[in-house]
Amino acid sequence: MAANLRNAAAIVGAAESNQIGYPSERGLKVTSLQHHIEAIKNVSDLTGIPISDIQGVFSAGWSSQLAEHLGLKPRYIDTTSVGGCSFQILVHHALSAIHAGIIDVALVSHGQAGWSYRGAGGGGGRNVAGEIDPAAEMTMPYGVFGAPSNYAHAMVRHMHRFGTKPEDFANISVVTRQWAMLNPRAIMFSKETNPYGGPITVEDVMNARLIAWPLTLYHCCLVTDHGGAVLVARPEIARSLRTKPVWISGAGESMGHANMLEMEDFTATSASRSSATAYEMAGLGPDDMEMAMIYDSFTITAAITAEMLGLAPRGKGYTLWKEGHAAPGGRLPINTNGGGLSFNHSGMYGMQLLVEAYRQLSGTAEDGVNGIEGKQTRARTCVVNGTGGTLSTTGTLVLTAD
Amino acid sequence: MAYDKPIPPHGQHTQPFWDGAREGKLMLPRCTSCNRVHWYPRLICPFCHSTDIEWIEGSGEGRIHTFAVQHRAFGGWAKEVPYVTAYIDLAEGDRMLTVLRGVDPNNPESIEIGARVTVEFEAADEDTHIPFWRMAEG
Repeated sequence: MAANLRNAAAIVGAAESNQIGYPSERGLKVTSLQHHIEAIKNVSDLTGIPISDIQGVFSAGWSSQLAEHLGLKPRYIDTTSVGGCSFQILVHHALSAIHAGIIDVALVSHGQAGWSYRGAGGGGGRNVAGEIDPAAEMTMPYGVFGAPSNYAHAMVRHMHRFGTKPEDFANISVVTRQWAMLNPRAIMFSKETNPYGGPITVEDVMNARLIAWPLTLYHCCLVTDHGGAVLVARPEIARSLRTKPVWISGAGESMGHANMLEMEDFTATSASRSSATAYEMAGLGPDDMEMAMIYDSFTITAAITAEMLGLAPRGKGYTLWKEGHAAPGGRLPINTNGGGLSFNHSGMYGMQLLVEAYRQLSGTAEDGVNGIEGKQTRARTCVVNGTGGTLSTTGTLVLTAD
Repeated sequence: MAYDKPIPPHGQHTQPFWDGAREGKLMLPRCTSCNRVHWYPRLICPFCHSTDIEWIEGSGEGRIHTFAVQHRAFGGWAKEVPYVTAYIDLAEGDRMLTVLRGVDPNNPESIEIGARVTVEFEAADEDTHIPFWRMAEG
């Protein structure tokens, strides 16, 4: 029987790097490492926790390099890298390590120059000495390039099973732009900051360039740069800081598959399991959630996930957006930063979810830099769900404010 | 014209598949313990964890599980857009990815999930004949 880790630790601060979005378009070259270090420095300054107090380093593939760069000798090193949900999963692991008494303060860090250092499309599956993963071997001939080309298959299956239409999912893009218009750091803040910026209509989404039918460009997330960091600490420390604690009341992780070939149900993800674990730990359910931060790599990702999290009935996830519940002023605000669709998506988007959830629950979402009037919600509870790979891996957190 | 799209290298554990493909046979891995076919090829049966796996000749029949129409592609595929990719439920069980032939990519509403498809092979080079699926006749 697993111990209950409810509120065994809190997120005590969240910050981003100094130049997010498209820094290379502003004549700046910011490396992924620089995004990490700036965000770490910023969250240290915000919380007043010296970097030297960090005992555990958690990142998606960077942990030994980061610890060395920071001159740390960590007691806990976790570098789990399973796609964009890694950061929800890393918070789960940090919670576990703190609950076990191994560490008091954990750093979870992200840095990814997803736009400025983007590579060519495609991908191999080959590794050293000519070994090739058999799943890669048996999929590489078939002209599927990157995420959108694969996620489109999930939307078509959803349409077949539930009678949904591309227009239904288009509402998710429309509402997410509305939130972006309240976040000056969002790529799609306005038509002045980007020709594709908010506001947009369902017709705009439907008429945008086709990427992989039924996905048009506006159904797809951005490709940007981002760095972000959060500090996680045990309760005694969390209560002693100048920043507000946001409690990790529930956490869970799971996976369905690595390769989409093995996706049993193209309309479902493992978020049903990771959220069941998180809700049970928290002693709360979907009806108790006052907002949600849901990984929106594509509109279909957000719609399916809302169903998996129990926020809407099966097949009806899109209605949260279509009926305006997820929009500014709605009963269940979702993706209040503008989401991966309209704010920022660096390839792995899980940290952006965490930073915004912290800001909302700590009442700092309208700081003038990351949010203007209308962005701060009154939510005291938030379910955060990351999805990694091709609807593959999920991490769910239930966060609560005092 | 030379085949200009990605040609998979033959992995350490899949040679019977490529040997069969060269003869126009769709070879599939089947567990001798639980008798189930799986795809992609494994070193261990994902259903019962037996390591006794044989190769059988599949029927080459299946049905469309889901599909998409690719409008953005790279390399040799770029000049083929739009084209339809699909996941195929094999008659023997489990699922395969393909580029679907015999469908109209400009009219995706005409493509039916559940429709019957059959396999065919294209010689990418001397050693590698790649299976593709096509809408079944009739």
